[in-house]
This record gives sequence, C-alpha cells and structure tokens, in this order.
Amino acid sequence: MSNLAREFGFMLRSRSALMALALLAICASAAVALGLASVARDRAAIDRMIAGQATEERALAAFVKDAGSGAYYGFQPTWDAPSDLAFAALGSRDIAPAMLRVRALALEAQIYENEAANPELALPGRFDLAFVVIYLAPLVLIALLHDLWSGEREAGRYHALAAMPGANRRLWSARVLVRLGGVLAALLLPFAVGALIAGTAPLRALGFAGLIGLVALLWTAIILIVARRGSRSAVHAASLAAIWFALTLVAPAGANLAINAAVPVPDGAALARENREYVHAGWDRPRDQTMRDFLKLYPQLAPGAAIPPTFHWKWYFAFQHLGDRHVAQQSQAYRDGIARRAELARAAGWLLPPAGLAQAMTALARTDIAAQLDYQMRIRAYHQRLREFFYDYLFSEKPFGPDDLADVPRFDPAIDS
Amino acid sequence: MSNPVLVIDQLVVERGGRRIVDGLSLTLAGGEIYALLGGNGAGKSTTLFAILGFLARSGGGLTIGGQDPATAIEAVRAQIAYLPENVALYDHLTARENVDYLLKIADCRRSRAEIEAAFLSVGLAAPAWEQRAGSFSKGMRQKTAIALAMLRDTPLLLLDEPTSGLDPAASADFHALLETLAARGVAVLMVTHDLLGAADTADRIGLISGGRIASEWSAQTSEPRFDLNALHDGFARVR
Repeated sequence: MSNLAREFGFMLRSRSALMALALLAICASAAVALGLASVARDRAAIDRMIAGQATEERALAAFVKDAGSGAYYGFQPTWDAPSDLAFAALGSRDIAPAMLRVRALALEAQIYENEAANPELALPGRFDLAFVVIYLAPLVLIALLHDLWSGEREAGRYHALAAMPGANRRLWSARVLVRLGGVLAALLLPFAVGALIAGTAPLRALGFAGLIGLVALLWTAIILIVARRGSRSAVHAASLAAIWFALTLVAPAGANLAINAAVPVPDGAALARENREYVHAGWDRPRDQTMRDFLKLYPQLAPGAAIPPTFHWKWYFAFQHLGDRHVAQQSQAYRDGIARRAELARAAGWLLPPAGLAQAMTALARTDIAAQLDYQMRIRAYHQRLREFFYDYLFSEKPFGPDDLADVPRFDPAIDS
Repeated sequence: MSNPVLVIDQLVVERGGRRIVDGLSLTLAGGEIYALLGGNGAGKSTTLFAILGFLARSGGGLTIGGQDPATAIEAVRAQIAYLPENVALYDHLTARENVDYLLKIADCRRSRAEIEAAFLSVGLAAPAWEQRAGSFSKGMRQKTAIALAMLRDTPLLLLDEPTSGLDPAASADFHALLETLAARGVAVLMVTHDLLGAADTADRIGLISGGRIASEWSAQTSEPRFDLNALHDGFARVR
C-alpha cells in the first residue's frame, strides 16, 4: 500500500500525467452527461408520445364510424425504452428508431422507413462513455506508460532504479498500478455517478465497470509488452499509436467491410418500396383473388369474408397484409442477414478485442443490433395483435364506435415479444 | 581477509557470444576502497552489471555478503548502493524529495533529521535541499546520491566512473566522501579511468585487461601510497 501511496504522490507531481488524466476524466464526464441527456430525451419523447395518444384518440373518437376507420386512422405507439445502461453505451440507438407509431396497415414499410446499417464495427461516430473507453482511454494509457522503462533509461536513472532491491514489485508494478488506477478512476467515477442518476441495477453496473476494467487491462498489457522492448520512448509511442490505429480503427473497419461483403443484406429502403408498391397494386388486383389469398392465411375468417362490389375495409386490410406477406421472405432475409453480420462481428471481436469489448458494452446496455432486431420483433408481435383485433370486428361485422377505441390493444414490451 | 563483502572468483561474463569478463577474481572487505582501472571495453562496467545481477554470468563464482545474485538477487541488491557514471535524479523533485522517494523505493525508512544529517555530511548545503534537482551540477547530484547511499547504509558501494566530468576540487571532495564511507565500514568498488584520483583514495588498484585482473597494487602505509610510474606504465600497457 505504501508503494502505491508513494507512486500516487509521485504521479501527482507529474504535470503531464495529471493533464492527461484530467482530460480523460473531462471526456468521460462529458460522455456520461451527454449519454444521460440522450437517454432523457428518448424517455421524454416516449412519454410525450404515450401522453399524446389520449389526445389523438379523443380526436379519432370524433369521426370514427367503424372498425375500418378506427384501424386506418388510429396510430398506436410502440417504443424501445432505453435500458439503465444505455447512457453509457448508446450503441445503435442514435440511428435506429427507439419508437414507432404503427397502424394496422402493411407493417414492413412502416418499419423500414429507417434503414439500419451494421454499426457494430463501423467507424466511431457517437460520443458516449463506450467511445471514450474504447478509443480515448487507450491513448491516455499509452501516454502514461509507453516510456515506463525507456523514459528512465533516457534520463539515465534506469540502472540506478533497477539496482534497488524489489524494484520490480515496489517501483515498476506500483507505478503501473497507480497509472492504471488513475485511468480507471477517470473512467469509473463519472460512470458511477451516471449509474446512480440512471438507477442502474448494481450487478449490471458492475458488469459494465468490469468491461471498462478489461479494456484498460488489455491495453496495459499491450503497452507493457511494447514498452519492455529496449527501444527509445519515441519508437514505443509510435509503435503503440500504430497498434491503436490498427486495432481500433483500421481492422474493425476492414472487418466491417469484409462482413458486409460476405453477408449481403437486402436493402431496407428497397424492401419498404416493394412492400408499398405491392400494396398499391392491390387496388388493381382482382378482389376475389385478394380475398382468397388472404383467407389462406386466416381461414377462420372465411364465414364473414364476403365483400360487396364497392370498397370495403375487409378487402383493404386484406391486401395490406398480403403486402407484408409478399416481402416476408425479403424481410426475413434482411433480419437474418443483419443477425448474421452481428454474429460474425462478435466472432471478429475475439480477434479484435477492442471491438469485441465495445460490442459487449452495447450488448450489456441493450443498445446493440440484437436489441434493435428484438424491438422490431416486438413491433411485429404487437402489430399482429392489433390487426387481429380489428379483423375480428371487420369479419364479424361487429359495430365499432368511439367507445371501442379504449379496447384497442396497447403495445406492451413485456408481452409483445 | 576477514569478513569479505564481495567475493568474485574466476568470473566469466559473455555478451553477444563474446567473453567480456574472463576469469576475473577479486575479494573486497568492508572499509576497503578498490579501484578497477582499464581501457574502454575492458570489462569494468560489465563486472559491475554482473554484480548487480543485470547480466548473468557464464562461469565462476560471485557472492555479495555471502549471497549469490543468481539465486538471491533481491537480497544482493539490498546490500548494494550503485552510482552510475552520470547520476540522474528526478529534475522536478527537490534534493530532499528525490532522496525521500528513492529511499521509499528501497523500503528504507529515514527521518527528516537523518536525511538532513546525511546532506550535511556529504557537503550539500542547506539551501540546496529544497532546490529542484534539475538545477544541480554533476557534483551536487553525486553528493545527493552519496547521501542516499549513506542513508541506505549498504555494506557495498559500486561506482561507475564517478569523477568523470568533475572539476579537480569536486573530484577531491568526492574522494573525501568515499573515505568517509569507507571509515564507516562500507566496501567501495569503483571503476574509473581516473588513475590519479584512484591513487589518492583507493586501498587497492586493479588493472583489468582481457577480462581479468592483469595487475594489482596495494597502497603503502607511507607516502607516496602508490608508485605512480608503475601504475602509469601498467595502465598504458593495457589501455
């Protein structure tokens, strides 16, 4: 303990070390603050959307005459509430929708209005604590540790220090531990404050803190391996900068390109367009053919499937759903492709530990691709409940009025999965 | 010789496949100052590095206080204070902070009064104690390092070219300090090119050549302590 206290005091006398740690702490604090603000914005937007639903339904009640108009005009909110760790690793929340108001119309176009990329291995873009941990903290560790031995050698102190009894344990180990501890403190203290504010479950917070620790340990090991070589400090710094550049930027970006090339994924926007075009073409397709195709999917609705020669909501919602069925394979291929890319990215993470640890952070924070796909599946499950609720009214010719709006199924993240 | 601090017996050290030290033998008792002279590349510093355990020996024996650096390096280093040719301190720390910090690394507890007493005994004036070492001359840095060695109270002091770059007065001061340490029972082994300085201070002078002691002289009890002509001739032959 006295060795650590001694080295801590020594580090406090080093202006450059203090500046590097202060800069890291400021970045980590800013990242946590921005993450908390982002999550708060998400929650506020979700709350506004849910609160606005009552106003919307009051407006809808003024003119809804039947189940068809209730289904057509009634937007229903769905949302993917940020987890208690999302503030620390925003993941794909900044590019994937965290809420979506859906109608009982064709769903796929509604979902794929936002094309989703594979951000797991993409170049850094968002500024959150995970970014600071994965990209900035290694640079500070490099600055603090690259000249651990070479700096002393260049100053002419190395042999005198190494000749001290217990130098390995009392000097070098303590110096490494104190500097590593400084970096961890600069990262973990802002995280701990953020976790307290966000009400993060203790075990999950510990898990995330463990990942931060693993990143720091990984880089400390890499730096010490390089710093142990007898080269000059400048050579160590340049080598480590090159390793950082390769491990955190070039290799993940290359892996991302390779994975995207190896696993082609249907274009989400094209899928939405195909869905819409098929639905629009439904107006011109033979109506009896549309109903036959629809009843193959819902044979239990056949007794009430007769439609008049004029417009009827049964027919309209039938070709809407057939639009979804038309692109079902493409949609499944899209999801499979995205999932496969994420799986390969995880595998690449074993070879590229910084990328792997970044993925582990977003996975723990439930802001990764899997969480995004999971939300889409919850929307699909809810959409099915919503459609079938209105099918029941439409195909049994049950009257539907303003009072029935209260019975429309609500999205529930717990059951729509 | 009673109670030898350092015993080197037929030491062999190789570097890059070449024998730098080849059968060197030397025994040093407490309170004795031994000057090891030799030309560049003769194996002087290599011998020091072998004693410190920085280099493994290929053959022969080596003990410090009865401990072998090959098997008990920490115990050996606890008995050695080492001053490199250019004593480097932490420039951003004062003399007192440097000594305090380095003593803690060596796990050696000394009071403020003891540190000040050591500074005084090496001739480091009080105003320098709180000065940053970055402003120190080589002589002041050496005095600080000697104070550190005194405070560590090790039985063996190793010096690598301690007077190179010192002016004559500072060099004389330094040799006086060594005599003070020797009087306290510290065994001093210094490798040097400074033949005159060695002749002034050392109890024995060994001339290293071909990786072994080629000639050795012991100080006489009466002046002159050494035959300077013989020393000079010997040194000229091996340089």
